[in-house]
Parts: sequence; structure tokens; C-alpha cells
Amino acid sequence: MDFTKLSEFVPYFLPAAWMTLKITTLGILIGLFIGFPMAFGRLSTRKWLSLPSKGYIALIRGTPLLLQLFVVYYGLVRLVALAPLPSAALALGVHNGAYIAEIIRGAIQSINRGQMEAARSLGMTHMQAMSRVIIPQAMLRALPPLGNQFIIALKDSSLASTVTVRELVLTSRQLASSNYMMMEMLAIAAVFYLILTGLLTLLVNHWETKMSVSRA
Amino acid sequence: MMIQIKDLHKSFGQLHVLRGVSLNVEEGEVVVIIGASGSGKSTLLRCINFLEESDSGEIFVEGNHVHHTERDINMVRREVGMVFQHFNLFPHMTVLENVIEGPTQVKKMPRKKAASFAYQLLEKVGLSDKATAYPASLSGGQKQRVAIARALAMEPKIMLFDEPTSALDPELVGEVLLVMEELAREGMTMIVVTHEMWFAREAADRVIFMDEGVFLESGTPERMFTEPAEERTKEFLSKILASPNT
Ligand SMILES: Nc1ncnc2c1ncn2[C@@H]1O[C@H](COP(=O)(O)OP(=O)(O)O)[C@@H](O)[C@H]1O
Ligand SMILES: [Mg+2]
Repeated sequence: MDFTKLSEFVPYFLPAAWMTLKITTLGILIGLFIGFPMAFGRLSTRKWLSLPSKGYIALIRGTPLLLQLFVVYYGLVRLVALAPLPSAALALGVHNGAYIAEIIRGAIQSINRGQMEAARSLGMTHMQAMSRVIIPQAMLRALPPLGNQFIIALKDSSLASTVTVRELVLTSRQLASSNYMMMEMLAIAAVFYLILTGLLTLLVNHWETKMSVSRA
Repeated sequence: MMIQIKDLHKSFGQLHVLRGVSLNVEEGEVVVIIGASGSGKSTLLRCINFLEESDSGEIFVEGNHVHHTERDINMVRREVGMVFQHFNLFPHMTVLENVIEGPTQVKKMPRKKAASFAYQLLEKVGLSDKATAYPASLSGGQKQRVAIARALAMEPKIMLFDEPTSALDPELVGEVLLVMEELAREGMTMIVVTHEMWFAREAADRVIFMDEGVFLESGTPERMFTEPAEERTKEFLSKILASPNT
């Protein structure tokens, strides 16, 4: 492989990497935005809150992301004419929302029952106990699986290539179709993914240590 | 009368755990409840501050009937402090933060004022030097003393203790009992589930033997420990006295 020649293509990949990052970030933000209320809904003892959450989680986890992406892209396009980028971000967000909801729910449930009881016995309301005692501890526990989910989301953003979003995978394929260097283009895309997932891992590790030092 | 409990019943499914418990506790009185594991001691304490909802019966705090409403329950919880077997300190907060959490969040006391009160309480339990430490760095005995300070920070009228020393290494039991004994001497109304005979003898006005969801007999510590009337009480006491860690 001629590396100096390959480096000529790097500038074409920069906007693609930026696009990957944009879809991922939007997807994660939408996922968090959906995931938190869904986690609380799922935990609620009220059926009208827990059933919709359970249904949403089951639906999303039981169907492939690619199908969800097509539903949003081809389905919603008819109703609201969503451009490729927002529809990919939305699909990724709705998809991740279900997984994030499950992570948050699991983390909340993993907190010892005695914590809630101690908080309530001081006279705190359920809301106060949740926000001051349970959630801060749950978030610390949720951080590793959340970080993991964010990395999955980053890689899953490659599916957006199927709905004409010019992220890393689509860009490498388009370049390869004109220069016939498929393996080389895919290798460059892979390097970009490795850099992005590496950075994300560092970021998550940084949060984790930052949040846990205070407890030592 | 500080607290009145009338004919409390509680079942978990088929299991009838409290079978008509009645109890009157005077202001400043210290009541020790003993009884075998599973006899319903914890459930009784938990019903008093509504961590568990009783099926029937009534509870009066300072003569006020406590209804099963959010408002009444929150009122009771402010007046009733609880100390748990496993401390249940908030691990993400320092000792000081643990102690001021109740006053600042529930009573909306300014942080400064709450902190200076918290220092007094930590002084009292002998832990003012640990204010900035996190619970994970404390011994079991220290944790339990912080938990007592945290409950006292709400200035409760009654303190409930559910086997506060049974999760501790034997050498750490004394420091916690001493704090409790001092509290009793200061006139705190207390209901204590414990098998620590020393504490019962020193601090209790009354010892109650609980058996299968009812109060079988009660009396002064001297009488209960030297001449229990019921066969079941005798049996239980001989077991407790025979076991090495009490
Ligand atoms: N939340 C619960 N659900 C079902 N059974 C329970 C629950 N809490 C306590 N019990 C049962 O009630 C009985 C009395 O328990 P408890 O009050 O903890 O006894 P003690 O504190 O005297 O050891 C035990 O048989 C226990 O298993
Ligand atoms: Mg118990």
C-alpha cells in the first residue's frame, strides 16, 4: 500500500468523519432525551406509564436498526419530508433511547433499597430521594454501560450510509467506485472509526474517574 | 403520650407478621424490644414510620392520629428518626453532607446553619474530625454513629433503632451503644430493637418480648432478665445468653 498516495484521500474523509460524529452525537442526545423518561416510565408502578415504555423498549430491541432507519427515512419522508441527516439521527436516537432506558433502569434498580428507605425516613419525598440519593449513585453505575452504548452508537451510525448520508462508510464506497481502491478506502475509514471510538473511550473513562474520585 | 400504637396488623401475602400489636411510649421513655429473628420486630418499626404500610390498626404521634396520606406520613417521618442495621449512609456524600441532607432538603434550613448544627452532632457522636470523609473510609461503628447523627439532625422526637449493632464487629459495638445510652440519658424517646443486654439493663425503662407477631410479655429489664413469666421468653433468653456475641 502506498501511504503517501493514501494520505491524499484523507481530506475527503474529514467532512465524512465530521458527519459521522454529528449523527452519533445527535443520536446519543436524542437517545438520552428519550431514554431517561422511558426508564422512569418503565419503573413506574402505574400501568399507563410503564406499559408504553415496555412496549417501546420491546419494539426497538426486537427489530433491526436498519429496518428502523428505513421506516423513519422512507416512512416519515412521506409525512414530513425529513432530510437524510435528521432522519438518520432520529432513527439512531430512537434506537438508542431503548437501550439507554434499559441501562438507566438497571442502574436505578441496582441501588440498595436501604438508600431509598434512609432518604424517606428523613422525610424526603420520593422525588427528592430519587434526585438527591438514587440517581447520583445510579449514574455512576450506568456510566460504563452507557459509554459502551455510545461506542455502539458511533459504529451503528454507519448504517446511515444506506440512506445517502455521506458519513465515513458511504464516502469510502463512493471514492472506491471512482478510484477502484476499495480496501484502501475502507482501511482509511477504519482508521477514522478507531480514532473516534478511541477518543470516546477516553472521554468516558475521564468522566468515570472524575465522578468516582470523590468517593475514595 | 409520645406515641400510641393500637392493634397493628400486617401481612405479607399469607404471612401474618404483626398480629395485633399495641404499644404506648411516654415522652423520654426507652423501650427495648427483643425477640427471635422473624418475630416481626423490624416490620413493627418500619410500620411506625410507614416504610411498610400496616393493614389495620392506628398510630398516634403526640396524640395526633396519623392517616395514610402523603402529608401525614411525611410529617411522621420528620418527627421519627430511624437508624438501620446496615447504616444506609449515602455513599456519594461526605459525612457532613449526609448529616445536613435532611435539614437542608426537608426543612429547607440554610446550609451554613445546618452545617454548624451538624458539627455539634458529629462532636456528640465523636466524629467531628471525619466531617469531610466519605462513608467508605469509615469503620462500621463510625458509620453507625454518623447514621445516628444524620437522624438526629432532623431533631426527631422519637428515635427508632433496628438492631443498630448487629452488623458490627464485636469490638465496635460498644462505641455505638455508648452514644445511644447518652441519648437515652438526655431524655430522647427511643424504641430499640436489640439483643444487647448491657444496653437494655443500662438504658431501658421497659423490655418487651415479641413472639410471632405479638407482644408476649413486658417489664423492667431486671424482671424480664431475671424472672421472665413466659416459657417462651425464658427459652429465648437462655439462647441469647448462651450465644457468644451478645
Ligand atoms: N417485604 C417483605 N415481604 C415478605 N415478607 C417479609 C417482608 N419483610 C419481612 N417479611 C417476613 O416477615 C417476617 C418478620 O420479619 P421481620 O419483621 O424482619 O422480623 P425480625 O425483625 O423480628 O427478624 C419474616 O418471616 C420475614 O421473612
Ligand atoms: Mg429485623
